[in-house]
Amino acid sequence: MELSFAQNFSLIALNAQDSLHLTTAKKVSLRCMAAAAICELYLDHGFTIKEDVLTLARQDLEQSTTTLYQETVLKALLGKNENLSDTLPHYLTHVTKLSNKDLKEVELTFADSLKEIDELEEIPNLLGCDLEFKTAGISMKEYRSNAELFTKVTESLRAEILEEGTMTDESILMLWLLRESGCLYDIFSKEELKRVIERMNEVFESNSLAKLVLPVIIHKSIEMSVKNLLTIKRQVMSTPIGTGINFTFPVFERSQSIFIDTEALFSNKEDRLRDVIARLEENGHTFTVIHEGEVPVIKIDNFLYEAIPTAMQYRFSVQGVRLRKYPLY
Amino acid sequence: MSRQRTMEKILASEYVSIGELVRLTGCRYSTLKFYTEEGMLPFEQEEENLTRRFPREKAIAKIKEVQDLKKGGLSISEIKNILSLW
Repeated sequence: MELSFAQNFSLIALNAQDSLHLTTAKKVSLRCMAAAAICELYLDHGFTIKEDVLTLARQDLEQSTTTLYQETVLKALLGKNENLSDTLPHYLTHVTKLSNKDLKEVELTFADSLKEIDELEEIPNLLGCDLEFKTAGISMKEYRSNAELFTKVTESLRAEILEEGTMTDESILMLWLLRESGCLYDIFSKEELKRVIERMNEVFESNSLAKLVLPVIIHKSIEMSVKNLLTIKRQVMSTPIGTGINFTFPVFERSQSIFIDTEALFSNKEDRLRDVIARLEENGHTFTVIHEGEVPVIKIDNFLYEAIPTAMQYRFSVQGVRLRKYPLY
Repeated sequence: MSRQRTMEKILASEYVSIGELVRLTGCRYSTLKFYTEEGMLPFEQEEENLTRRFPREKAIAKIKEVQDLKKGGLSISEIKNILSLW
């Protein structure tokens, strides 16, 4: 099944984002998803265009071709106005003024449109099993896009951007959205990014749509820095040295080092594993025990973890195991 | 305006781009690029630096063949040898 332009972008932007809380990283994505809905309407000739000015009337939203997510974004842009006339770059910059409430609505309608066709699901975040998150009553879930479709969308985009030849309007707009959402780094390697920048310059010189859109900036530098910092932190903590440091100082990156408390003091390896399995089951994770023993290896939600017996020092010592990504080196 | 082709139009064309081949087969771009560079995928190119065009049906059939041979446990060099004999 072929998704719409904005749905394709949402599939990339929502993947691995916290689904329950409006995090800074998610806000960046949601603004860009709203911009994607505007781009889609522009591509589908949904605006009345006179010279460079695009006009949108509230009554246009009642057309049968308007999707629910487009309607949500456009209603938020219209506010109390009956009509809105502006250039494409100005329409796009309007998304920076969307409130948190508007962004939540945007998330809901986009996520629902993808969930309906089974291309997006919410899975429990492993961090929800951690003692501190568990006792604080914090429930954590994240979005996971359909892996097959995710690969198809990102790989065809990579092909079009990295290959010679004309870039389509969809690819130009998608490239701009990826840049503004900080997702470029998720799809292209450092080496490929050099080629991406070259292509951006080429297309900026030769294509009128690129000239119009590429100078538009809708990201907020602080939010983007937060998002990038989190990504860098996660990458560093996934290295062999980082994993070791994070085991001793889990405060650096909690999502890579999860502590599960076990019930009995000085429990044996079987009891420890039983307690870990119970916690994983309780939180709805899919898992398989690959190897039992003193340090069992468990495959949880497609990733391998080792469960190392350890203790946490609070007012009194708490026995348990620390799950850390199994090093594949 | 240069618009992306719909799946219907792609399926009706004789030739497709590498991006469209990715959309049709779900293979990774880097994989198809590798197959092309290794001469395992047929393509046409009018001049150097111009876009490569892939004959849709032949290219898809070839990708399927390579995938089947790989599933059979053959290495890329063995697959290349077999394909050159056909």
